[in-house]
Amino acid sequence: MSFLTWPAALMAASISLPLLLLLYFLKLRRVERTISSTLLWKKAVQDLQVNAPFQRLRKNILLLLQFLLLAAVLLAIAGPVTNFIRQPERNVVLLIDQSASMKTTEPDGRTRIEHAQEAARDFIENLNSGSKAMVVAFSDRAEVICTFSNDKRRLQERIDSIVPNDGRSRIGEALQLAVAYSSSFMETGGTGGDFNPESLQIADIELFSDGRISDAADEFVTRAKMIHHVIGQATDNVGITAFDVRREIDRPGVISVFAQVQNFGSKEVTLDASMFLDDKLKDVQQITLGPNRDATSRPSSGDDAAVSGRNVLFEPFDHDAGGVLSVKLSRKDDFMVDNIVTGPIDPPRSIRILVVCDDRETAYMLERVFRDALEINDVTLMAAASYDNASEEEIAVEGRSAFDLVVIANHDTNRLLPGNYLFFGGIPQIDSLSVDGEIDENFFVTWREGHPLLRYVALDNVYTIKWKRLKLPLHAARLVDGEDSTAMALITDPGHRYVVVAFDLLESNFRMQPAFPIFIQNTVDYLSGGAVTDASKLIVPGDTFSVPTPPGAQTMTVVRPDGTEEEIDVNERHTVTFGKTRQVGPYLAKFDDEASTVETYCANILDATESTIRPNMALSMAGEAIESVSGDVEVNEPLWPWAVGLALVLLLVEWWIYNRRVMI
Amino acid sequence: MAEIPAARPVATNSEQLLDPDFLARLEQLEIVSRKIHASRQKGERKSKRKGESAEFADYRNYVVGDDLRHIDWNIYARLDRLFLKLFLEEEDLNVSIILDVSGSMAHGKPQKGLYAKRVAAAMAYIGLCNYDRVNLCAYNDRVADFRQGMRGRRMMPQIVKFLEEMPIEGKSHFAAAARQFALRQRQKGVVLILSDFMDKGGFEAGFRYLIGRNMDIYILQILSPEEVNPELAGDLKLVDCEDEDIAEVTISKPLLDKYKANLQAYCESIRSFCTRRGASYYLAITDHPFEALVLNYLRQRGLVR
Repeated sequence: MSFLTWPAALMAASISLPLLLLLYFLKLRRVERTISSTLLWKKAVQDLQVNAPFQRLRKNILLLLQFLLLAAVLLAIAGPVTNFIRQPERNVVLLIDQSASMKTTEPDGRTRIEHAQEAARDFIENLNSGSKAMVVAFSDRAEVICTFSNDKRRLQERIDSIVPNDGRSRIGEALQLAVAYSSSFMETGGTGGDFNPESLQIADIELFSDGRISDAADEFVTRAKMIHHVIGQATDNVGITAFDVRREIDRPGVISVFAQVQNFGSKEVTLDASMFLDDKLKDVQQITLGPNRDATSRPSSGDDAAVSGRNVLFEPFDHDAGGVLSVKLSRKDDFMVDNIVTGPIDPPRSIRILVVCDDRETAYMLERVFRDALEINDVTLMAAASYDNASEEEIAVEGRSAFDLVVIANHDTNRLLPGNYLFFGGIPQIDSLSVDGEIDENFFVTWREGHPLLRYVALDNVYTIKWKRLKLPLHAARLVDGEDSTAMALITDPGHRYVVVAFDLLESNFRMQPAFPIFIQNTVDYLSGGAVTDASKLIVPGDTFSVPTPPGAQTMTVVRPDGTEEEIDVNERHTVTFGKTRQVGPYLAKFDDEASTVETYCANILDATESTIRPNMALSMAGEAIESVSGDVEVNEPLWPWAVGLALVLLLVEWWIYNRRVMI
Repeated sequence: MAEIPAARPVATNSEQLLDPDFLARLEQLEIVSRKIHASRQKGERKSKRKGESAEFADYRNYVVGDDLRHIDWNIYARLDRLFLKLFLEEEDLNVSIILDVSGSMAHGKPQKGLYAKRVAAAMAYIGLCNYDRVNLCAYNDRVADFRQGMRGRRMMPQIVKFLEEMPIEGKSHFAAAARQFALRQRQKGVVLILSDFMDKGGFEAGFRYLIGRNMDIYILQILSPEEVNPELAGDLKLVDCEDEDIAEVTISKPLLDKYKANLQAYCESIRSFCTRRGASYYLAITDHPFEALVLNYLRQRGLVR
């Protein structure tokens, strides 16, 4: 047994003990009463004294009891604890993972987040009373749950309020918050005087997570010590890690569904994958998955865990209408969130393409790609000048572009109706974008392979003579970069999406590569979203989605997967953006226009890092190993209630003895 | 230190001691002695001796020198022999009332002293009405005053005056007082002792002096309700009104229980002591009407008839 606050008890003792003695020495002031004779009274008192046991003790038993009582109270004040863990006075930031993987059910029946909360509560309990703590919960975004405080009760209450969502684990924002808060806290809470940012030590960081953090390799911790409390033990999980729904471009009525199923557990599993269209079973496939190769060995970092998985291609089926498609795994495992994916399918419609180009060669090449490779027949060719001067009826429907995609080659234009644009060698004339000369670069250095536009697009052998140096707005997504300039970017403005390729097709061998038609198809898929499922309608939890507003709509009602609704005023806006997508499942955006437009967006995890639920015992951030502790946190078991109980018992005994009043 | 409270004012006239109706009823009563005592004076009680009362006792032969007036001439006429007719002698009774006037008797509501004086007055009146010789003895730590040989109803005002003027004060010492009484009252008779017996010197020695005189002893212990059921509470410093002795007590139920048990045991010890020595013991609480005590209680218990 040890004491947490013995100086307080010592202080209390130094005051109360002499006070008690003083009070005891003050004689009891008795009321005088004259009676006929004390004969019988003295005899009675003597008799009682003779009968009372422990004659000597009895004389001072009340004092003794009072001392014991006081000692018990002082003991309680001293804060006795067992399993004593002394922590130095310090400031800590608790990062608590609330990502989807924290919903994993552990062998004891509780979820991983409950384990994390318990561990964090215990950690708070063990803190020295002078320490201050702050709580940040994070998934793909970070949220300050409680700012710096030394109120343990409040911190623990706030920790209990954390609920897991279906987002991914991304620690970057949480670390920034931790650094920002603790820096400002130290500045204001410090002694003032010389402020030297270099010498500033930020608060210690305690991470409560299963260690599956997707951006662990990119983030690093500066000027602070970080300790990883490994939460969880469960490993058994089979999840869907990829999912795609496609209409065949030449036969838009036929839908193909593809899913990738991975086993993250250490045992071989056989399960059924069922495909549903609007909750009606369409196809079932039985798959057998081998054990995860790395399940028995320790993976080195968060997102490179190799797993054994299989691709499942469901039987294509005819479906001419829209709906929500879902794939479910029949198996019950520890992490159920990734056992279902949903995807919206739109009704098929024929794609209309407008190619704006003065150069016949380029026009011919683009037309061939659309007509022959993509089998899109509705391709309109237009010269640049006639595009700029075209009447509204020619290129616009209801204020929007009449074409699903407008391809503009070697032409800068400000004729930009709401719609989708692909620029080659030219730029849309919008405020945030400009060209700053040309740059002589021949090949690309990096490109985002994972982006839907560049999926399966191999740019290794693509060379160019030169491209324009783009000055991009901040919100632009850089898709292809050269050494110091961007060659391809995606700019999303309200109502508009522009894919800007900074080079002329004729000055590059891109048009001759197999990658080119794939890129064109990706662009059609991604921007127009007509013949195939709109890639932008498949989101990860936490992402925002933007819905183009149909004409005449006043409000949009979003129905979340759990059935809750939210109404948003969309009056006079071309697109509405919705960001509260922390749950997996379909989100229905309903408009109150005449056609009662319904757009469906689906949030799915589709993340192997999140699905790898086996806790990562050796988390490393930016290549640096993080010290980790696992198992239950030893808690200082408080003993003060026992001391208070003892004091109460002593009080009762004293009361009883006092009422016997054997004292003269 | 608390001062001993001054003796409470006692009754100032006889009406306060005894009212006339009560006196009239007392005339019906007489004091009974279980023993027949020899006395010197003629009275209204039977004597062991033969004498001159109207009540025939026996005959005996005439011897020379006998009073001729007592010869039964009818028998002489029939038998021609002289027989003397004997009659019962009637003598008076010595009724001694020993009254405790120590400071402790001034306590109680109603006051024990006043109660004792009333009983004394009543018993004295009964005695006077029956031509008994009434002796009154007041004591505290010695005999404070002693009136002997009062006979006849005309003595009543004197007795009332004596009682009214008798102050209630001083320590009590029964043994010393009883010794003095026994020395001065040599004649046998009925002795009635009125006291609370709150005497730290003990009661046994005093009784022995009286019993040694072969007196017919009646003891009336007078206690106040406060003494039987003390209504005290809290932490108290109890001061003895006689000797200023101090007892510091913290009143509790066990203590009260113990006190009551002790009181009962004390009374019981007096009673058994008296009973074993042929004396009678009565206990009176001052909240009982003293008329009822005299007219009913003492009558039932055989002191008066």
